[in-house]
Amino acid sequence: MSSHTESSTFGSLELARWRQLPTWLMAGGGLLALIGAAVDLQRFGYAWLLAFMFFLSLCLGALFLVILHHLFDAMWTVPLRRFVEHIACLAPVMLALFLPILVLAPKLYPWMTIDPETDHALHAKHQFLNAPLWYVRVFVLFGIWTWLAYGLRKWSLKQDETGAAECTYKMRRYSAGGIFLFAVTLTMAAIDWMKSLEHQWYSTMYGVYYFAASVWTTLATVYLITVVLKHAGPLRYVARERQFHDTGVLLFAFTVFYAYIHFSQYFLIWNAALPEETYWYVKRETGSWWDIGMIIVFGHFVLPFLTLLRIDAKLNLRVMVPICVWAWLMHFCDLSYNIMPVRHAAGFPAQWLWLDLACLAFFGGVLAKAFLKSFNAHPPYPQRDPRFAETMEVYLPPASSGRQASAHGGAK
Amino acid sequence: MNGSAKPYGVVAEFDTPAATMHAAEKIRDQGFTRWDVFTPYPVHGMDKAMGLRNSKVGWFTFIGGVTGYITGMVMQWYMNAYDYSIVVGGKPMFSPIYSFPPSYELTILFGAFGSLFGMLFLNRLPRLYHPLLKSRRFASVTHDKFFVVIECGDPKYSDTETRKLLESSGSKHIEVAEE
Repeated sequence: MSSHTESSTFGSLELARWRQLPTWLMAGGGLLALIGAAVDLQRFGYAWLLAFMFFLSLCLGALFLVILHHLFDAMWTVPLRRFVEHIACLAPVMLALFLPILVLAPKLYPWMTIDPETDHALHAKHQFLNAPLWYVRVFVLFGIWTWLAYGLRKWSLKQDETGAAECTYKMRRYSAGGIFLFAVTLTMAAIDWMKSLEHQWYSTMYGVYYFAASVWTTLATVYLITVVLKHAGPLRYVARERQFHDTGVLLFAFTVFYAYIHFSQYFLIWNAALPEETYWYVKRETGSWWDIGMIIVFGHFVLPFLTLLRIDAKLNLRVMVPICVWAWLMHFCDLSYNIMPVRHAAGFPAQWLWLDLACLAFFGGVLAKAFLKSFNAHPPYPQRDPRFAETMEVYLPPASSGRQASAHGGAK
Repeated sequence: MNGSAKPYGVVAEFDTPAATMHAAEKIRDQGFTRWDVFTPYPVHGMDKAMGLRNSKVGWFTFIGGVTGYITGMVMQWYMNAYDYSIVVGGKPMFSPIYSFPPSYELTILFGAFGSLFGMLFLNRLPRLYHPLLKSRRFASVTHDKFFVVIECGDPKYSDTETRKLLESSGSKHIEVAEE
């Protein structure tokens, strides 16, 4: 394997030592998760849901970045696009990992076992929020994500071989329609799987709130993966200052965007002070949930905002690597803040942290294996993308330019 | 030429961006501080060739933004909670939550002021007159010529050496601009 020999010659980062890590995460996490399931099936379900939503963030965030690349005809994302495509293509694996939630749904979502005739909020929402439709939507959503992600990657891989412009046009077509499908499906996923945990609640910002947090976490992950792939070899010559700087800038933008969205949600609910809306936050200002809320305000926004504010911070790995890892921690807190108060009204369930982490580890292990498998099976970056030369700051005169110039001269 | 006029700097004309870039690299490596490059359009990589650091405008923006945020918060506290307190919508007299959107707007406004006025200050603008505008040849900088100007006020400047340096870097035409 050429990438392996490269990494051993250039490798400033020894990766061979970590080769078994996904297997260990999968085995260890899986075992602990099984113990958790035996101890308390419902609590296991919530831990699993948290881990699922965490990695769904990466999967959908990656799909969004690929779509974004084609919509803006971006240049700087070309070297990063391939591994982001692979992350987006984890959608079918995510469907397999959704299985426990599918089975445990009636235990996790109180509305599934309530008679809508006895609950006004549920009755009002019953057209959308009913069990059969919920199950159907699971498959529709995963179907759409898989179709989009695989379609985009199929043409991208085809371009590696043919170099045809047609592939770019196809990918653009997927993206142009895909962005609408993406917006609708992500919103539904956020509503179905997280927001409906408390079915009485109203918030029109919930979908975009999950979106902002997802893309933020994805950008941090993309930055870290780029660092690893650059030092390990595959992206050594193609991931340059520009790629790191611009990923950092986008991360900074989404730091602000997330805060803007979350504040807007809180502010509107606080200002209107309607009981059917405020109860959601009142619950989350109880006990140690208050502290988690403060951690989100200062750790999800203020700290990364001030750290990323300076232009040179985005290129400084000593700043960026800790911030990106920190972003994972913050996203975990954020999801816990959204999911866990349903089960733990008194405060953050520190005594169950082991189960949450076990599920996260299991997901991480499984998805890392799936990711590495597709990463190793294909070229590490788009080989014949029409924007590639430009990205590498190489000027190639168009093949037909000479002929065209003479034709113009002749016409004069 | 009017002999009594004070010289402003040497103006060297170039035909191509590449030649200008190489000249800029040479001048940068010699350690000149008061000099500039003029081109008809932005030339990528010129900032590096000139050894320019990041602009300091960001600091003006930041200080402007912080001032705006504090102004917004203090203003609303003073008006709603201190000077003439009125209960609105059952909300507290002062709360950072409702005060945030206006403070945020003021952060942006003052930040923009900071950027604009910081940029004008650092560029020493507005300025009604510039010595280079007296040069006839220099007018072609808006068309197809590239110029490197080294000011006489530069500590490294010398009448003969600087001219030689510019000649050796391939300038086709060198003249002295007057104040």
